[in-house]
Amino acid sequence: MKTLTYIEAISEALWEEMERDKNVFLLGEDIGKYGGAFKVTKGFHEHFGEERVIDTVLAENAIIGAATGAAMMGMRPIAEIQFADFVSNGFNQLVNNSAKIFWRCNIPVPMVVRLPSGGGIHGGPYHSINPEAWFFHIPGLKLVAPSTPYDAKGLLKSAIRDNNPILYFESKFLYRRIKGEVPTNDYTVEIGKADIKRNGNDISIITYGTGVHWSLEAAKILEEENIDVEVLDLRSLIPIDKEAIFSSVKKTGKILIVHEDTLTGGIGGEIAALISDNCFEFLDAPIKRIASPDTPIPFAPTLEDHFLPNTKKVLSALKSLAKY
Amino acid sequence: MAKIEIPMPQLGESLTEGTIIKWNKKVGDTIKKDETLLEISTDKVDSEIPSSTSGVVSKIYFEEGKTVPIKTIIAEIETDASNVSQKDIPQKKEEVKQVETKIEIEKPISVSSPVQKLEKPQPGRFYSPLVLNIARTENISMSELEQIAGTGENGRVSKKDILAYVEAKKHGKVSSTISSSLSTQKIETTLKHVDSGELIKKYPQPQYEILQMSNVLQKMAEHMVKSVQTSPHVQAIHTCDFTEIAKFREINAIEFEKQEGFKLTFMPFIANAIVQALKEFPIVNSSVEGDKIILKKFINLGIAVASEQGLIVPVIKNAEEKNFLGIARNINDLALKTRTKKLQMSDIENGTFTISNYGVFGNIIGMPIINQPQVAILGTGAIKKQPVVINDAIAIRSISYFTLSFDHRIIDGAIGGQFLMSVIRNIENFNFKNAI
Amino acid sequence: MKNKTTKKISKTYLIKKNNHISSNMKLQFYYHMQLMRKFEETVFKLYRQGKVVGGAYSSEGNEATAIGSAFALEKNDYLFPMHRDIGAHFVKGQSVKNLMLNYLGKSQSPARGHDGTGHYADMKLKIFGNISPLGAMIPLANGVALASKMKKEKSVVLNYIGDGGSSIGDFHEALVMASVMKLPLILIIENNQYAYSTHISKQFIVEKLSDRAIGYGINGITIDGTDVELVYKTTKDAVENARKGNGPTLIESVTMRMQGHAIHDDASYVPKKLMDYWKKKDPIVVYEKKLFAEKILSDKKKNEILSEIQRQLDEASDVALNSPFPVWEDANEKVFAE
Repeated sequence: MKTLTYIEAISEALWEEMERDKNVFLLGEDIGKYGGAFKVTKGFHEHFGEERVIDTVLAENAIIGAATGAAMMGMRPIAEIQFADFVSNGFNQLVNNSAKIFWRCNIPVPMVVRLPSGGGIHGGPYHSINPEAWFFHIPGLKLVAPSTPYDAKGLLKSAIRDNNPILYFESKFLYRRIKGEVPTNDYTVEIGKADIKRNGNDISIITYGTGVHWSLEAAKILEEENIDVEVLDLRSLIPIDKEAIFSSVKKTGKILIVHEDTLTGGIGGEIAALISDNCFEFLDAPIKRIASPDTPIPFAPTLEDHFLPNTKKVLSALKSLAKY
Repeated sequence: MAKIEIPMPQLGESLTEGTIIKWNKKVGDTIKKDETLLEISTDKVDSEIPSSTSGVVSKIYFEEGKTVPIKTIIAEIETDASNVSQKDIPQKKEEVKQVETKIEIEKPISVSSPVQKLEKPQPGRFYSPLVLNIARTENISMSELEQIAGTGENGRVSKKDILAYVEAKKHGKVSSTISSSLSTQKIETTLKHVDSGELIKKYPQPQYEILQMSNVLQKMAEHMVKSVQTSPHVQAIHTCDFTEIAKFREINAIEFEKQEGFKLTFMPFIANAIVQALKEFPIVNSSVEGDKIILKKFINLGIAVASEQGLIVPVIKNAEEKNFLGIARNINDLALKTRTKKLQMSDIENGTFTISNYGVFGNIIGMPIINQPQVAILGTGAIKKQPVVINDAIAIRSISYFTLSFDHRIIDGAIGGQFLMSVIRNIENFNFKNAI
Repeated sequence: MKNKTTKKISKTYLIKKNNHISSNMKLQFYYHMQLMRKFEETVFKLYRQGKVVGGAYSSEGNEATAIGSAFALEKNDYLFPMHRDIGAHFVKGQSVKNLMLNYLGKSQSPARGHDGTGHYADMKLKIFGNISPLGAMIPLANGVALASKMKKEKSVVLNYIGDGGSSIGDFHEALVMASVMKLPLILIIENNQYAYSTHISKQFIVEKLSDRAIGYGINGITIDGTDVELVYKTTKDAVENARKGNGPTLIESVTMRMQGHAIHDDASYVPKKLMDYWKKKDPIVVYEKKLFAEKILSDKKKNEILSEIQRQLDEASDVALNSPFPVWEDANEKVFAE
């Protein structure tokens, strides 16, 4: 085992997969000599050469379209969208081409789109979005959102080896803020499998990405009050691990869904509906959600602090659920 | 002679039709009032429909398998004038009405509602889907659910609350009432709180005085109503001759008190006799859950006593393991604790059979109510000297009247009667060597 | 119509080489143009009989562009046709039967009923059937070209869009990328005067769509799209240029859509005069005359060709009509590859 930051785990996964499979290549804006806006690909250009670490034009439809076309050809492209916000410019290619080609034409599209997501870095309305819900609705795309260095590396490796278009939501906030143990040898984290980050019997939190950390902190605090909180980290949003969700619901009967993305039309709503459809008789309280309010993401620190979910908000929701 | 038209009854408010499953009578058959005329099936229930009148079936309008709108005439009965007085032959319209009313009354009995089904929650109290789910799988009736104190918001029964209740019930710590599936009619067992302000207007002083029922009294009230509702009570009564025991007591009273430190009463003899009889008739030492009988391999004998706080039933635990003296000592201990108000929860819970000694008040015969979830209770009247015929001669004997109330759901008259006689035999033939 | 080239095009690039077209190839052009038209006539007939659902599109007037350009490709090259290039599928090796099955949405069709008309892909034949927002095909074609380049296949990618398809952002993004990366891409804009009902005057004000190539620094040329040999030669040059590593070419092929956008559209918005002008330029009629004049085609040969086409279409229709429709099963829900 070794200790890596979240961003180092991502870099390592890319590096090792490029070493392992010559069909893996990178394309994106400023990822070459510059090493990427967040330096995820620092040193890649020198090592793998400009043919496999391609600096592209600033055009997301062109980037994602090219990745899709190359994937159909059996390559394993990894496109970096500099900030997840900009993926809206590549929306057409993702939903009309990447997502549909296998279903229409029976041709696998093994590609990864890396999406540095989320707030907490004072990026304002164009550099902070969590766009997963836009794509959650599109059949044919897989969505993963790791919360730890271990999952970040293991899921990225799985994503690169998967034969489908995968959106990889990486949290910019977590990049250098969290460290974690990562095996020294090659390993993967299975896509579609949630992970119980903390076992508990009283209330289940269903979350992913940054939400995992707020949830774990809140659960720790509630230990003193003898409230036993389970934290289920989805890790994959599509395919979503229904079995893990249902078994946690059946265990606790009280559910809090936490995500950084805004509330309305967020993934939490679908999770709540799944639970209601499948586990209604196991519910001992209304399903609650903690998410950002329905506004664009504000810039000023005071506003952003208010906007984002945090440990305190999770804690207060847990307390009211415990009391219910 | 009169013609009575039989309509398709409405077996539920929302129903519009019924299907004739079977005619129990054919045209020309005689039928008595209340005898089953036909069986019908609806979306909700299958029911036997009794005839509203005696007579001869003269017409059947629909064959078996037909579905017919409610209130459609499905048959006619010619009444037998010789058996029916003029008064009993109403006009046609009224007769139709009578059928409907009759069905309404009979409905609860003929409903074969699944045991699993829970009644609708009472308005005002919310149960989460999970709580209702647990209630269903654990066979907890809605009326029982309503008894559970909730620790959730606004007194809501949480998952923890119901699980704690289930756990307690499994260990016999809760007197469970299995609501009978025989009756869908809901009887209020919980006492409603009424505003005394309203009552004072209705019952003005000084002619009236309004008292608040104590908690113990309220519990007793609820418990008794529930018991009567749950168990069909049947009584068997017989005399019990205490003459020999009374003599023994007179002779050994001082010696016994010196040795044991307490007075020898009649109660240990009764208790001992019951323990022996329960061993002979284990079914009487049981309880009922749904369609199952729970036989208890231990005998916890409760003795009802009137205390300052109200009716209380201390329990002799594992009486089956105790000899006469052990039982006597245990009774004395409990009596002491009752007087000194030192009874603990463990002293009064988990009884399997109860004695109610109203004889202490001089009463000779009573009709005790079963202490749920037990299935029988023995009432003992005052022991009084009475003339008794023995071998065709009149003798003066110390006689007590014993009343056994038993639950006819599982104990029939034969078993109940034999059990009572066994108790009496054990008293009348007491082996006094066991007492010292 | 005059053939104009954009200013940026170097002299050496102009159609000079590969000038010789054999008689056999000319007959092939003719045969495929006829097959394309007859195929679509058959589809229209089946549509009116209620056998074809959804849309039926006519390429009448576009045959020379589709056939001439497709013949410029080698086996290892990639084809991204649009819906007025059905003949290009056949040139690239697709069977009449398969396309008929696809039009009918049958279970044995290449798209297995998941999609219809010319929408499917065949990796073996290197055909990527069209994507409805036509401009959205170009970024994808770029990706195929990029991968092919990385694999050192020496292949090129030929992609067609319409005049309307040149307006969406993907068109610009993809040409920016293709030009910078010198991708082996040939993009043919089939300017058939109308995007659905919208005349080109409402879509662009440049003199020629190939003028846009200047903005990307790539070769651009506008040609008469009704001349099959011209189309062939122009495309062939662009293909060879791309194969040499000189990057993409933008070809505007000017034609006329002789029918409505699809079978439901009577094209009443098209002025009669315009239609009359283009009728005289019917690519098949004109080419037939030319081949008769060159003594390559005779009445006998023509009849042989037409009856062979009819035989193929009858057979394909028969098979397709009697083939079962797909039924919804688990496989239809499979949106992910293993």
